[in-house]
Amino acid sequence: MKRKVGLLLLFLSAVSTGFLPAYNGQGAGNAFAAGAEEKGDAIALTETEWKAPDQMAAQIRAAEEVPFVGKVKEECLCVRQQRLRDKGLSTKDITHRYFLLDSPLIRKEEDQYGPVRFMHSKHAAVLKDCALCHHYRPVDPEAPETTRCSACHQESFQEEYPERIGLKAAYHLQCTKCHKDMQEGPVGCTGCHKKNVPDHEKLVQLPEKPEPTQVTEECLRCHQKAGEDMLSSAHWLWKGHSPYTMERRKEVLHGKGTTVINNF
Amino acid sequence: MTKIDCLVCHDTTGTYKKAPPAAGMPDPESDLLYVAKNVGHSSRKSCGSCHFSGGGGDAIKHADMSGELLSPDRNCDIHMGGYDFSCTECHRTGNHKIAGRSTTVPVVEGVFSCENCHTTAPHNKEGLLDTHLNQHCESIDCNTCHSPVYAKCRPTKTWWDWSKAGDKTRKPQKDKYGLPDYDWKKGEFEWKESPKPEYAWFGGFTKRILLGDPVDIQAPVINITEPVGSIKDPRSRITPFKIMGGIQAVDAEHAYFLIPHLFPRDKEDKTAYWKHRDWDKSFTEGMKAAKLPYSGKYQWVKTQMYWRVEHEVMPASMALSCVQCHESLKGEKTCDRCHQDQREVDFQKLAQKGTDFSFMESRGRDVSELIDSTDYINFKALGYKGDPIIHGGRFRKLPLGKSMAEAGEQ
Repeated sequence: MKRKVGLLLLFLSAVSTGFLPAYNGQGAGNAFAAGAEEKGDAIALTETEWKAPDQMAAQIRAAEEVPFVGKVKEECLCVRQQRLRDKGLSTKDITHRYFLLDSPLIRKEEDQYGPVRFMHSKHAAVLKDCALCHHYRPVDPEAPETTRCSACHQESFQEEYPERIGLKAAYHLQCTKCHKDMQEGPVGCTGCHKKNVPDHEKLVQLPEKPEPTQVTEECLRCHQKAGEDMLSSAHWLWKGHSPYTMERRKEVLHGKGTTVINNF
Repeated sequence: MTKIDCLVCHDTTGTYKKAPPAAGMPDPESDLLYVAKNVGHSSRKSCGSCHFSGGGGDAIKHADMSGELLSPDRNCDIHMGGYDFSCTECHRTGNHKIAGRSTTVPVVEGVFSCENCHTTAPHNKEGLLDTHLNQHCESIDCNTCHSPVYAKCRPTKTWWDWSKAGDKTRKPQKDKYGLPDYDWKKGEFEWKESPKPEYAWFGGFTKRILLGDPVDIQAPVINITEPVGSIKDPRSRITPFKIMGGIQAVDAEHAYFLIPHLFPRDKEDKTAYWKHRDWDKSFTEGMKAAKLPYSGKYQWVKTQMYWRVEHEVMPASMALSCVQCHESLKGEKTCDRCHQDQREVDFQKLAQKGTDFSFMESRGRDVSELIDSTDYINFKALGYKGDPIIHGGRFRKLPLGKSMAEAGEQ
């Protein structure tokens, strides 16, 4: 267990050591129950079923089934870029500033990572070039100029469209290629999404009512390196490097467990 | 290594608890097998089980963190309340080292700031103000505008006078928030909800007094932590802080801060303040453990700690507007102070919408004094001659547009 820090603890740390109040997850009255202007606010929720409205709207959108667009108008990137600019398409035309890159289509095949948060308008504002991602348009002249990735990219290896990559591949190729080319943005898996934690129901082998140290031992059976990492962390040592403290930028011993003073 | 408590951070069931007297060991009531079979990523709940209650209880220590963040309204915190961020989405971790640069704790295992996601030109709605707002980013921290009050949803402690502790006969009075002004173990308190922060230049470094550091015990106030920055330093930005004030003890001869022994170790404990109410014994024991001499003479001094306001970022529509800081723009009807007159631009709408304190008050926030304020930032206190629109910025010395006389200033 987290080591006891003993009696000295600087003004009151002793109180907080081992003192973890049990929150019931229901704040004493949400401060502003309604009233913001952006999308997603209209969803009324009681405290017990608290949901983050913007995130929920994105989840709903990500779960939508989108009619498949088979035929697309093939045009050279430079032509399309120029055409969209001539049309005056810009970040102002964005209907969804934020969404989750996620789809039941992807999860059906494999479900190892959580969805990716995607700041649509941020990417648009930095790139100032819609055509970089929205590279083709539906042939239907009535269709809007830009459409969702998941309209054209759905299942992979469709017989009728053998050259069309699936949604998961489309996301990964588009994101990582651009990030690599621009030398900006994450390119590794966990830079964009969290790895799902596998179900530990069967993995954990412990007797009924295990001792706390037995639990840790069982965790370490697979996560030995995590344990070693923990032992050199600030959350274990309660001290460490202080690179932003004046006159002490090269020291390594300061922290709550050693030299920190406070007034509370 | 088996002393590591994996479950306190990786519990997803919300049932894991530590037992206060058990020195960090779990509450015997916790079903460890059930918790172990349901481990997962850390969450606001697991991080918050320690960090929301810093200082001995919910919302006490941090300016902008409390149990409210478990299920916040989106106006309280857009990241956590609107988008359900967990702590580690910003406080990125690798090998159990967690990024974050605290004002009050010196340890740093990595840094992460707003700009990592929002870039250094974050205002990009193709609005008329984008250029102006992005220029402001060179001199103003994001949260100066985007988190204009702290402790928005739950009051935080802002004053803590330890010298008043020990009076078991004094009955604590409730303040306007219903919170106690006294505890015999801890002394006298003040609480604030939704106050305006203090603003200071901050370039990323902090000056702090650490254990054993000499202090000027005659000074009217001693800053235990304070931001390092200057109006002349291009890296420094005007940054919001909560100031935790208080009165605590120093060694009158050695002139350094004293560490009390508060919490009794066991029934035999002869020195703990919370048992014997004797500061002298408490300091003797505390300093022995700290391995520093104690002269036997203590003295109470006034201290301050700066706590940077980093969380509880409000939605963009609730950020401060031009007029809330620049009084000189209040009467303007168009942008013709600097630009060619364009009557179709509604300057007032552009420059005056800002943080709606009336709305916040209607929701029960303690912000009545901030409604209609046009002097949100005290420019003179920050080293300017006055409103930079009239007197010029810190590096751009020309005032904007009209002359001072025209603008009604001497």
